Amino acid sequence: MVVSADPAARIGRSLQARLLATVLALMGTVWAAVAVSTWVDTQHELNELLDAHLSQAAALLVTQRLDDLEGDDFPPLPQLHKYQARVAIQVWHEGRLVVRSTQAPEAPLAPAQTAGLSQQVVGGQGWRVLTAPGREADVVIHVAELDSARQHILASSLGRAVWPILLALPLLALGVWWAVRGAVQPLRRLGQAVAERRPESLEPLAVSEVPREVAPLVGALNGLFGRMAALLESERRFTADAAHELRTPIAAIRMQAQVAQGADEAPERAQALAATVKGCDRAARVVEQLLQLARLESEASQGEGAMRRGETSADMAAGARGLMAELEPQACARGQKLVLDAGEAVAVMMPAGLAQVLLRNLIDNALRYSPDGAVVRVSVRRRPDERGGCLVVEDTGAGLAPDELARLGERFFRVVGSGQHGSGLGWSIVRRLARLFKLDVMVDRSDTLGGLRVTVTWLDEGQS
Amino acid sequence: MRILLAEDDELLGSGLKAGLAQQGFHVDWVRDGVAAERELLAGDHQAVVLDLGLPRQDGMVSLRAARARGVLTPVLVLTARDAVAARIEGLDAGADDYLVKPVDLHELAARLRALVRRAHGQTQTQLEAGDVRLDPVAHEVWHRGLPVELSGREYDLLHAFMLNAGRVLSRDQLEQHLYPWGSEVASNAVEVHIYNLRRKLRADLIETVRGVGYVLRANRSSP
Repeated sequence: MVVSADPAARIGRSLQARLLATVLALMGTVWAAVAVSTWVDTQHELNELLDAHLSQAAALLVTQRLDDLEGDDFPPLPQLHKYQARVAIQVWHEGRLVVRSTQAPEAPLAPAQTAGLSQQVVGGQGWRVLTAPGREADVVIHVAELDSARQHILASSLGRAVWPILLALPLLALGVWWAVRGAVQPLRRLGQAVAERRPESLEPLAVSEVPREVAPLVGALNGLFGRMAALLESERRFTADAAHELRTPIAAIRMQAQVAQGADEAPERAQALAATVKGCDRAARVVEQLLQLARLESEASQGEGAMRRGETSADMAAGARGLMAELEPQACARGQKLVLDAGEAVAVMMPAGLAQVLLRNLIDNALRYSPDGAVVRVSVRRRPDERGGCLVVEDTGAGLAPDELARLGERFFRVVGSGQHGSGLGWSIVRRLARLFKLDVMVDRSDTLGGLRVTVTWLDEGQS
Repeated sequence: MRILLAEDDELLGSGLKAGLAQQGFHVDWVRDGVAAERELLAGDHQAVVLDLGLPRQDGMVSLRAARARGVLTPVLVLTARDAVAARIEGLDAGADDYLVKPVDLHELAARLRALVRRAHGQTQTQLEAGDVRLDPVAHEVWHRGLPVELSGREYDLLHAFMLNAGRVLSRDQLEQHLYPWGSEVASNAVEVHIYNLRRKLRADLIETVRGVGYVLRANRSSP
């Protein structure tokens, strides 16, 4: 489990936290927008309504004759409602305050020349003022309302609507959290199922049990499991085969040595000892080939880059010439004939040592699997199209049946009845080299010699 | 004792053949699974040493086929496959013993003797028939407590009779016990060896059953 130390980063990587934050932010924004627009709307409607009330009140006053209102000792207008305190009325005649309501200030609520609705500040308070001319000349009527009163009405009516929403937000967050948690539960279960697996259990996960969105991930995992199982299987087969290839010569060496120990007569002992030596040679060859294969595999796993850094060019023709001189005695011993068909140098882009390994495996195989007295011909030429080189190793041996051709390159595949102790590792090495250096290997029946023909072709660098 | 060896490896096969011969076995050697199955079905051998990774047919297939056809010959699997699963599979397929290469010659011989002994219902290492006693390990025979000198063939013949005490053996069967493939067998060879055994041990040890063969009576011992 990787646990990030940075909590912000952890939240950023948690689907659940991200979904929760996004949903809540969106909801909050929408609610805020609704609240603002409601506020504006309500304020507008409220102003219209209350302004209408103001003008009604003003209209009533306008219809009054001044004499009815005027008096040296007119009583302040009685207070009939608690909200009335917020409403003020002033009647001015010739610049003199004639009538005012109880709460109305002494100062004029608005300049005399104002007409209609206006916004004024009198005595440190904001007023909404309707100014109308009276019935008689020089009479001005102000009907006003405290702004704070209006704001109070607005706030209390909207506040009632906003509070439940603010309270609901945490509940909603809880609900969203629960829903999202439920939605990511299959992922959690999947993770647990994978975590609890034993390393060797590679059977696929059930796709039917996961949501559609997770199915591609499960599919990919199953694909990976499949490839790993195949890899493990091939490794296990290789181990079993390698064990066989090593155990058999060792068993033979041991058995022959014991035969020599128990032999009563000198010829029997000599024969057993000779067989012991032969077994040692064979075991050494298998070990050498296994090491070659292991080296190639480790180089391949280091990537082609590492392989190519040490890249040099080798002359295949010279390599074949040198190797055939070396193998000549071995071929001679079985009456076999080695023929080389090579002219000028033919370059191949691989280290000379590995080119040697390739040649040795091909020519050695041909000699081993051909009968005594067979002819093995090796030709190294430029390709007819001059874009690369071509190596052909062919023999007069029995060749291979189609199903045997198909099995070539399987590690430890041997040709039944060849009577020779090859481990079949040679082919694996050839195939491995071909893959590493982009060589093209083809196996078929030789037109001219009738036996097996192996054709290796390659392109010069820069050709493709 | 005649043993069938199924091993495709030339070097190991020749070593096993020579080594087992030193231990007193007659070894017939086949090199592929099909031949191994054929010889198992023929039933000419007292025991079989079977490699599994054989050409043409896996040794396991040969073994299963033979067991399915009722072949009871003891089979010792000698293979490079050392995985526990492979051992279990081999034993369940009908192998009586399972050895992983490389193997010690003396151990192999001892296990083969044990297999043959058990296959004949014997638990004692030494075989006894009345006053005749045979030690398959030391290749020695005693009569009334005294060692008796027998030739290789005479010993093999006596061993075969003692393993099959009370059972009538035909001349063909006896020849199969005695001679590996390719041996030239004189027509009266078995009679000559039986005559010698009667002479060296006891005249009535081996009875002739007219027209059928010979039988060793274990319970009839001379006073």
